[in-house]
Amino acid sequence: MAESGNSNAAAEVPKWTPVPILEEIKEHGRVWEDLASQYGVTNPDPPWKTSLDGICEALSAGSCSSVAAAEKRWLDGRVDRSSMDGALPLLERRWEEDELSETLYQDVPFPERQLLCLAHSLIKRGLVNEQDLAARMIEVHERLNAA
Amino acid sequence: MVEEVSDFEALEIAVRELSIEKGLFTAEDHRRFTEFAEHIGPTPAARLVAKAWLDPEYKKLCLTDAIKASLAVGVDWLNPTGFGTPSDYTDLRVLEDTPTMHHVVVCTLCSCYPRPILGFQPEWYRTPNYRRRLVRWPRQVLAEFGLSLPAEVEIRVEDSNQKCRFIVMPVRPAGTEGWTEDQLTEIVTRDCLIGVALPRPGMTTNIPLPVHQPAKPAHH
Repeated sequence: MAESGNSNAAAEVPKWTPVPILEEIKEHGRVWEDLASQYGVTNPDPPWKTSLDGICEALSAGSCSSVAAAEKRWLDGRVDRSSMDGALPLLERRWEEDELSETLYQDVPFPERQLLCLAHSLIKRGLVNEQDLAARMIEVHERLNAA
Repeated sequence: MVEEVSDFEALEIAVRELSIEKGLFTAEDHRRFTEFAEHIGPTPAARLVAKAWLDPEYKKLCLTDAIKASLAVGVDWLNPTGFGTPSDYTDLRVLEDTPTMHHVVVCTLCSCYPRPILGFQPEWYRTPNYRRRLVRWPRQVLAEFGLSLPAEVEIRVEDSNQKCRFIVMPVRPAGTEGWTEDQLTEIVTRDCLIGVALPRPGMTTNIPLPVHQPAKPAHH
């Protein structure tokens, strides 16, 4: 699962290539723990956490929303086996999250770490372009701070 | 109210918008999954246990057909979202503790969890450290949660997977005689349902647990 391959000795530390935009967020982004403390908010999780969970679910499901439904179509011979998989299968995402959580993002708290890992996995696969992501983040900041 | 937009908030929005534009999923799918994530929590599982403590017939149903029993606490296990789910929630089992047998749940592979009835996993449940060490040294790991079981109590670790999820039905604690279902539900915490704590009168919260790095890196 590591970018450098993982066929060598089991004790070898996976080597993940840092992604500049994510490193920038890791270094300078303010985590929920700090924000909640500063603004006196008691929610244990940031407001975007459930949306992040929604993204993870939707990515592993694809547009069909249901592995069971896809499996039935496959068994019926209507689709290929490969079409059952979402863009980012759950197990692959979780394993990469394990590895990234112990390497590049080990000092980032949860769930910020989960978000960085997800973004890293998407960029690594080319599902999200790094430059597009950087540009969109600027746009989102401008939009949300417009009022 | 937090009056600033963090980079993490912007990142979540940016990733979501780009994914939808690329066709990785639809906005409608995301909306539905997020609504599901918003409304799940541990209360249905706690109520299931409380009901079982009060009703021997319901308890039998829980142990023989947990999927049917979960309907009584408002969870349609086979179709929890009403529109489908990406995970195969094929089976749900309730693990009954006895005075000499204690169960605790883990997912050694990733972080499989009975979400429709118990909500999202706590952070520590997701960590390789918990997942690896619990199966090797369950008694020691439980002690780290403050649960020191006598040597005569056998500990059974149940490994969740894509096809089967578990919740623990602890022994009803002393001092709860005459309690209502609502009262009992309050003391069946998430930690009790995973098996890292035991219910007791007056205890209605979970223990915050420090998260530790594993000694060796994950290598899948």
